[in-house]
Formats: sequence, structure tokens, C-alpha cells
Amino acid sequence: MKKILIIEDDLLISSLVQFRLKKDGYETYLVKDGNEGIKAIDTLSPDLIITDVMMPFRSGIEIIHHAKKSLPQTPIIVLSSLGEEEQVVLEAFNLGVADFVPKPFNPNELAIRVKRALS
Amino acid sequence: MKKSLLSILLGFCIAVGKLFAQDILPKDSTEWMNFLHIQNQVPGLGYQLTFSPSLDSLRAKNLNLNLSKTDSGWVSDIREDFGIFSQLQQDSLDFQLTYFIFSSQNTEEAVREYISNLMRNGDFDPVTEKVKPKEDLVAMAVKSPYSPVFGNRYTFTADLKLFVVTVIIGFFFMVALLMILVMLFLKARKNRREILRKEYDQMIVDPLTTLLFEKELDELSNMKIAEYDPYFPQSYLSKPLYQDVLIHRIIGLNKKMKGEFKEKLKTIYHQLGLDQVSAAKIKQSKWHIIAEGLVEINEMDLVETLREVKKLSDSSNFHVRSLAVSALLNLSEKSDLSFLRDQTYPLSDWQQMNYLRIIKFVSAQKQLKIEMLFESKNMSIRIFGIKLVRMLGRVDLLERLAEMATLASNEEKIEILQTYEEIGAHMEVDFINQCLKSEDLDVVKQAIETSKSLGNEASVELLSGLLENLEDFSLRLLILKSIHELDKTKFDELTLNRGNSTFVEIRNHILDPKLIYV
Repeated sequence: MKKILIIEDDLLISSLVQFRLKKDGYETYLVKDGNEGIKAIDTLSPDLIITDVMMPFRSGIEIIHHAKKSLPQTPIIVLSSLGEEEQVVLEAFNLGVADFVPKPFNPNELAIRVKRALS
Repeated sequence: MKKSLLSILLGFCIAVGKLFAQDILPKDSTEWMNFLHIQNQVPGLGYQLTFSPSLDSLRAKNLNLNLSKTDSGWVSDIREDFGIFSQLQQDSLDFQLTYFIFSSQNTEEAVREYISNLMRNGDFDPVTEKVKPKEDLVAMAVKSPYSPVFGNRYTFTADLKLFVVTVIIGFFFMVALLMILVMLFLKARKNRREILRKEYDQMIVDPLTTLLFEKELDELSNMKIAEYDPYFPQSYLSKPLYQDVLIHRIIGLNKKMKGEFKEKLKTIYHQLGLDQVSAAKIKQSKWHIIAEGLVEINEMDLVETLREVKKLSDSSNFHVRSLAVSALLNLSEKSDLSFLRDQTYPLSDWQQMNYLRIIKFVSAQKQLKIEMLFESKNMSIRIFGIKLVRMLGRVDLLERLAEMATLASNEEKIEILQTYEEIGAHMEVDFINQCLKSEDLDVVKQAIETSKSLGNEASVELLSGLLENLEDFSLRLLILKSIHELDKTKFDELTLNRGNSTFVEIRNHILDPKLIYV
């Protein structure tokens, strides 16, 4: 079973994403801030990471930096309301993220993108 | 003079004091003896008793006065206590008194003088004769009402300043204590609310997620309120804080979701009766609650409340007014802007920007009657209407704009000129030329700018005339730029053949390709 780490400070959003991904048979882990996210990357070694950009303690960009160093092969999907800010999107893609899903989003669409990233 | 007066006053005081002191001292010998007996002791005063030689030796011994027999009779030691006088009087013994002041023998007259001096100097306070109460002390006490703090109260209230200061300090401490208690109470209540809020937040996540993923939109619409009970119990739904957390959560999620999830959230909102809560908020008196209600109405598309929202579009509160207009623009089915036309308050730049963003979005779906804004009595609304024509590129409204242009104010004329320039309204060149003749410099400036792209021969003539009359460099530059665009021959004629060095410099500036946009 593939392990997916969800780093999102909005409990309801993370729960919705988790619920949807569980339906597809993934093993999901939730963390609610950047610090916990970095710890979870090191301890869990997930197969895919879904992260927000604006979070307490550490930003999503820092998390992507860390993940690309410790787990370079793990695909990362950025889920953020900063989708309209070109600079953030470009920086994320330059760091090697697999996908960028702007909020507002559809969980079903996200599930398809997850499936594609893992394949 | 002063010295003699002071001496007289001092002498008078001493004399009065002497008289007063001597008045207290009894003159009669029996009284004098009683006086000494009552005093018992006088500082520095001693006496010696001398009894007749005929006094029986046994009796002399029994008197316990340590008498010694001399030629003149029985003589006692020098004593200081006068208390034995009463016993001697009772025994009817004859005796003589010899007074000693600090061991020096003195007369009775000298003793009187000595006691008077002591009293005057405050070194001796004579005891007056003790008056025995006629009644029993206990009986007297019973008659007097018992009041344990009477004495203190009297002293305390007698000093008015002390009383006032004490009352103020007491009041200050009472107020401070009260404030601390109120703060503690408010803090405790806030903490309790926060804890409850987090608790409700946790309670809401799972049912909301389940409903969104496990129920289809039709199913949610057909569910009755009782069927929602396992997800959101009625006992909680009736609590304002729970309602508040749920509304906050649904609206937050609505902003971040799209597609069918958005519709499902709106359905849940309606089915749970939260729309009634939002509708009630806009009837409140506090503006921030009204604003909160308007945001909820806008987010959750509560079209049934639009009649009430329309009333708020002319509210005196800036935020309420802005949010109400935004909600109307977003949700109104009717394709007119009459609610905006009737606004009496001027539109700020921020409001205009906000409304424009919404109108740009909704104008693709609805046929908005922007021309209604030209009928407004509010100039800022009419100007906003002109801006909308320009921003949305509404060429069909140029004719209507031309109708209002004749009676327009200077600010409106500037906006109309900008609109003509942006849309390319060549047919309105007469209006542009008319504005070139205006007395308002800003209108003229805008007309010069507009004539650059829309002007004709008449405009060139008018611009040439302006060039002669205006001396401002920037205006001359602007005029020559327009003339350069409209008629190059005229431009050459004006800049080369006049021998004006400024015009030559402007010409060089205009013709320099590097400075074309400077």
C-alpha cells in the first residue's frame, strides 16, 4: 500500500483529502505544520507528499527543499491558494515538484493527479 | 516699640499665669493641708513633722514615722509623701510642718510660690479633688447605649480630609478589584469559548467529510432535517457557538472547493437552516454582524435575502454598503443596477475597483443596464458608469454617453474624453473640440490628449491657438505632440518658422526616437 504524507494546516481540507485518498486505497498520514512535515518525511519515507505552501513554522517551499534532498525520487504535489502567484508556482516547479493544484480545488481531480504522479 | 510691647505682653502673660496658678492653691490652712494630701507627692518638695515633747514614746513609735526625740519635741525624717496627713488628722495629733524644697528649708509662702511656678511651667499638674460617682459605675454604663466603634467613628468622621481621602482610596481599590474580577471573568469565558470552539471544530470535520463524499447532491437535497441528526445533532445545532463554527467551516471550505462539492456545501447550508441564521444577522444593529451576514449571503448564494440586502446598499456604514452592493452584483437575477444608481454616498476608489471586478465577472453572464448609472443624482456613480463603459468596451453606449456629455461636469467630461480615446469614438470630435475651448485646464489637458488620436482640422486650429496662449512647457509639449500626430506640415511650420528656441527643443524631443515615450 502506497504511503501518502499530507502536510496541511487546515484540518478540514486535510481530512477531506485523506478521506478521498483512503477511498482509493492509499495509506495516508496527516501533519499540520512545516516542522512536523519535515520530521514525518524523515521518519515515514512516504511514496508521495502533498503539501500546502503557507503554513506555520516552515513554508511549503522549505519542505520541498528538504524532501528533494532526503527523498529525491518521491513525487510532490503542491496544494495551495497561491496558485495565481506565478513566482510561487515557478519556484515550486523549479525545485522539481510533480504537480501544482491551486485552491479552490476538487478532491476527485486531486485523486486523479495523485494516481498519475504515483504511476 | 515692638520690644516694649512684647515685654508688656510677656509680663501680662506671666502675671495672668501667676494669678491663675495661685487661684488654684487654697489659702485656708485646712484646705492647704487637704490639697497637699490629695497631691500625695510634689516633685522636689519635702517636709518634716515635729510633735510636742509630751507625746507618749510608745505612741510615737506606733506612728511609724521614725521619730527621734529632740529638745523641741519628737522630729520625723524629711518625707515626701503627704498621704499620712489624713491619719494624723484623724488621730487629732498636734504637729508642726517644716517645708523643704530640694532639701533646703523654706516657708509655706515659698512652697506656694514654688508649686505655682511648677504649675505655670507645666512641670506639675495638680490633682483636683476626686469626685466619687453618686451612682454605681455599672448602673451608669447600662444607661449609656453600647456602641463599640462609636469613639473611632467620631474621630474618623470628624477629620473630613482624612475621611474623603480614605473614601477615594477605598473607591479606587474597589474599582481596581472589580476590574480585575471582570477581566478574569471575561478571560475565563473567552477561554471556555475557545475550548468549545475547538471541540466543535473536531466534531464537525468527520460528518461534513462523510456527507460530502458519501452523499450525492440529490440525496442531500432530499434529506430531511431529522436525517441530518446523526451528522449534526439538533441539540448542538440550536447552540449559537456551534452554528457559528459550522458556518465558518462551511464557508471556509466553500472558498477552497470547486465543482460539485461547492453545490453540496450550499445544499447542506440550506438544509441545516444556517441560511436563516445568516439572514437574521443582516437585521442586527451592530455593523460587524451585518457585514458577517452579508459575506455569508454572498458566499452561499442566499438569493432569497436580496430584498433585505438591497436596503443595506445605501447604508451609512462604508463596509456594510460595499458588501451589500457586492452581494447584489453577484447574486441579483435582475439585470439592472438601479440599486447602485440610487446610492447617495460617494463611491471610493476602493469600492469602484471592487465593484468593477465583480461587474467584469458577472457581465459575461448577465446583461447589466449600465446606462442606468448615468441617470444617478450622485456624480461619483455617473463617473463610475462612464468608467464601466470604458473598461467593458461598451461601444453601444457611446450614443447615450454623448447625450449626457453636454450637461456633464468637468470631472465627467474628463472621464468621457478618456472613454472616447480608449474606444476610438471619432464621431465625437466636436465634443473634443468643444472641450479644447473649456476654461478648466484639466479638461483642456485631457482634450489635447484625446485629440491626438481623434482630432480633425478644426482641432489643429484650436491646438495652434492654444499653443500661442499657453506658456506651460508640459502643455506646449502635449499640444505639439498632438499636432505632430494630426498634421505634420503644421507641426513643421509651428516649430521651425517661428524662431522660438523652446519650440525647436520640443520638436527635437518629439522627433528623437529614444524620447518618444518621455
